[in-house]
Amino acid sequence: MIRITDLTFGYNRKNLLFQQFNLSLQPGNIYGLLGLNGSGKSTLLKSIAGLLYPLKGRVEVNGFQSGKREASFLSTVCFIPEEVYVPGITAERYVNLFAPFYPLFNRDQFATYLQIFDIATDKKLDKLSYGQQKKFVIAFGLACNTATLLLDEPTNGLDIPSKKQFRKLIASVMNEDRIMVVSTHQVRDLDSLIDQVIIVNNGVLLLNESLPAVEEKLFFGIVEHTAGRQDILYAESVLKGEAIVATNDARQFSKINLEHLFNATVEHPDEIKKLFNGETHE
Amino acid sequence: MNNIFNPVRFWLLLKKTVYERPLQLAGFTLLPLFVVVVMYAFLKTVNGFEVAQTASFAIGLIGGGCFVASLAFGYFSSKAMGYSYLMLPCSVFEKWLCGVLLVVLYLAVFLLFFRITDALFITYFKQHLNPARANYKAVYNSVTLLLFDSGMGTSAIAMFLNFSGAVLVGSLYFNKAPFVKVALLIAGCWCAAFVLNLVIVKWLIPGAANGVPYLHVWINVGKDVARLDMPEQAEHLVKLFFTGVLPVILWSTAFIRLKEKEF
Repeated sequence: MIRITDLTFGYNRKNLLFQQFNLSLQPGNIYGLLGLNGSGKSTLLKSIAGLLYPLKGRVEVNGFQSGKREASFLSTVCFIPEEVYVPGITAERYVNLFAPFYPLFNRDQFATYLQIFDIATDKKLDKLSYGQQKKFVIAFGLACNTATLLLDEPTNGLDIPSKKQFRKLIASVMNEDRIMVVSTHQVRDLDSLIDQVIIVNNGVLLLNESLPAVEEKLFFGIVEHTAGRQDILYAESVLKGEAIVATNDARQFSKINLEHLFNATVEHPDEIKKLFNGETHE
Repeated sequence: MNNIFNPVRFWLLLKKTVYERPLQLAGFTLLPLFVVVVMYAFLKTVNGFEVAQTASFAIGLIGGGCFVASLAFGYFSSKAMGYSYLMLPCSVFEKWLCGVLLVVLYLAVFLLFFRITDALFITYFKQHLNPARANYKAVYNSVTLLLFDSGMGTSAIAMFLNFSGAVLVGSLYFNKAPFVKVALLIAGCWCAAFVLNLVIVKWLIPGAANGVPYLHVWINVGKDVARLDMPEQAEHLVKLFFTGVLPVILWSTAFIRLKEKEF
């Protein structure tokens, strides 16, 4: 479990990014962390990983205080940043050097993931393309079988087939004991992958809800006209009319459009908060 | 799981550190050793053995130590590398000890290498001395191995400990080009100390010509210049500070800084 309590953080004490920020994440879920550029997604992930220290408050991950960066904590967390680092060695040597630090690392799984991602293992890692390097690090991170997996913009730099492989792979490695947090501003990459959505903006938690809860409370669809409708939170012109996000008063089922959900939440945070029982889950 | 020190984990870290960047590590270690040989050979020919020994020992030890120290915690020049290093499942103490061990290993390798180089040059020189020379014995005896526990040897080792400690700390404060920034900082500190020392000396001692922080002052006495040394007890304290206290402060600051490093 990840529990963030009263987190106050800022790169500059006069300009705080998070103030008394609270968030609780449960195992067995893939969380999609959405936000605009500079909204605090990476900072939040780095705070969870223990790379940044809160000015006030606590960040606990599976009972560990992440800021202490204890070895026993680090062996249960895998953080894959937007820019990845691979040394100039072969995949085999990389595994020999890095895998022993992770007690649950599985070589067979790793070989399978490399195959799925179609990564050449005969070359030195720094000679691979950026996308290949990223896929290699993702494959390694998944094979570490850590209880917490934090992925910051994992699909940046991946081509379209790789993004599909990534989604399939993430879905297949999920289990009841794992927490995965995937941050991105490319919300379409998270389609049919996540089961809980977190939206932050300017260090404020706007939404932390499961997708079924969102489906229950909001309607996503295309209508011809929006004039006179009070239930619409967000509308965007599309080829066939207006794509809308509206309150789901009629309890209709609709497929969630994460991009529209994100836009609706950022544009109408108060209405969204009110709709989800006045407050979002902390 | 022991969160402070685990020998197996430390061995894995050490192995990872060496195999991850073998060429860089070898290059940073071998380059100063190569410079020592070239410098020794050149200065021996131009200025004689004493200058060759002193200069090549000091530059090889201090310069090489700083080079290796800049590599020990040199993971923060890129974000990706910094994250990878900080997130590696090892304790802060193990990471610090690994960095320190690289520097200490360099010291050991350097001392061994220098002793061999010194011995080879001296042996060659002595073998090629003409025994028929009038002053053969005097020349033969005048060239001896540089003793590491001599005044010069201990001073160079103290400077090595201070400068490499400063670079260790600097690489944790300055993410980009720490070697250059630390060198500038040290130069700046030395200049400031020199000027401050001179100002105080001129204020306290009328007729003071010059001063070296914080051991000697040169005073104009008529047309001559006399050297005034610091009282023995005070000099001992200054030396103790530079050979023991300051290195301990610097090397332990590196540990604290590594523990608190945010990235």
